[in-house]
Amino acid sequence: MIIPVRCFTCGKVLASIFEEYKKRVYIDGEEAGKVLDELGVKRYCCRRTIISHPVFIKDGEVKELIDEAGEYE
Amino acid sequence: MKIKFLELKENYAKVLFEDTSPYFVNSIRRTMIADIPKLAIEKVTIYDNTSALFDEIIAHRLGLIPLPTHLDLLNFRKECSCKGNGCPSCTIHYTLSKEGECTVYSGDLRPEDSMWTVVDKNIPIVKLQKNQRLILEAEAELGTGNQHAKWQVVCGIGYKYYPVIEIDKEKCNLCSACVDACPRNILEIKRNKITVRNIEECILCKSCSDSCKKGAINVRGDGSRIIMQYETDGSLTAEKALKEALKILQKKYDELKKCFK
Ligand SMILES: [Zn+2]
Ligand SMILES: [Zn+2]
Repeated sequence: MIIPVRCFTCGKVLASIFEEYKKRVYIDGEEAGKVLDELGVKRYCCRRTIISHPVFIKDGEVKELIDEAGEYE
Repeated sequence: MKIKFLELKENYAKVLFEDTSPYFVNSIRRTMIADIPKLAIEKVTIYDNTSALFDEIIAHRLGLIPLPTHLDLLNFRKECSCKGNGCPSCTIHYTLSKEGECTVYSGDLRPEDSMWTVVDKNIPIVKLQKNQRLILEAEAELGTGNQHAKWQVVCGIGYKYYPVIEIDKEKCNLCSACVDACPRNILEIKRNKITVRNIEECILCKSCSDSCKKGAINVRGDGSRIIMQYETDGSLTAEKALKEALKILQKKYDELKKCFK
C-alpha cells in the first residue's frame, strides 16, 4: 500500500529512506543488499520490511499500490 | 563499574560496561525501552480527508513520526498543573494542510514554534491525487514505551557478553579449519599461531570450536564485561537516552529506599 513508517519488529524509521532505495534498486538496478548496507539498515527485521514491500513499475516509474488506489473515486 | 562508549554517533551507540553483571545491564536495557519519556502525536483532529487512506491510518502514521523531545521543557499531561486540559508545557500543537497532486511528508507538519520541527522531514504520510485534500490538527504529548511503541525512544537494543577466545597452542595443528568457519572473519594465522583480529566483532557462535577436530579452541562469554548496542529514533540522541535511563533507574531506587525509613 504505502511503505510503513517504522519497522514492524524493532521500530526503526524506514519510510524516509524508501524513496532512495526505490530509485537505486528498481530504476538504477543496484543490488538490494548493498544499498541497504549503505543506507544503514543492519538488522534483518528492517531488511525484510523494505525488501518485501510490494511495488510495480509503470511508465518507467516505481509505484506503490497507493499511487493507483487514489485514482478510483 | 565502568562505562565506555566504543562507538558513539548521534543516533547509535555501542557501550562497554565493565565490572558489572547481566542482571544490572538488563535493567538498564528494560528502562531504556519502557521508561524514557518522549514526545509523540496522540490526538488528531481531521477537518478534511479525501485521500485514499482512512483517517485512522493517517492518525496512526502521524503518531509514529519521531518528534524532537526537550525533556526539560515538558511535563506529562496527567501530572501537569493544567490538570490534563492541555497547556504549552504539556501539549505541542501541529497543523497540516495540503492539496494534491503531491506527497504529504512529515516535514509538512507545522509546529507552533520552530524548536518542535520534526527531526526526519522525509517520511511520506500519504500520497494525494489531483483535487484530494488533507487538512488536520495534531496534538503531541509525552508518553513512555510501556504505554505504546510510538513512545519508545530506542530500537534494536541488545547486549552480549564480552567474547573470550582461548586457544590451546599444544593441541592446535594449524589446520585453519576455524579460520574458514568464522562468519565474522576475525581469526587469522600469524607467525604459526592462530590470532584474533578484533575480538569485539565475535558473536559467540562457536563455529570455530565446533569445526576444530582437536578441541584446541574454546569460546566463552565473560559476564562481568558486557557490550550493549542500540539506536534511537532521533527524538533523543543516543547519549542523552542512556543518561536519561540511568536517571530514571536512580529515581526508582531512591523511592524504594524511602519505603524502609
Ligand atoms: Zn527492524
Ligand atoms: Zn499542561
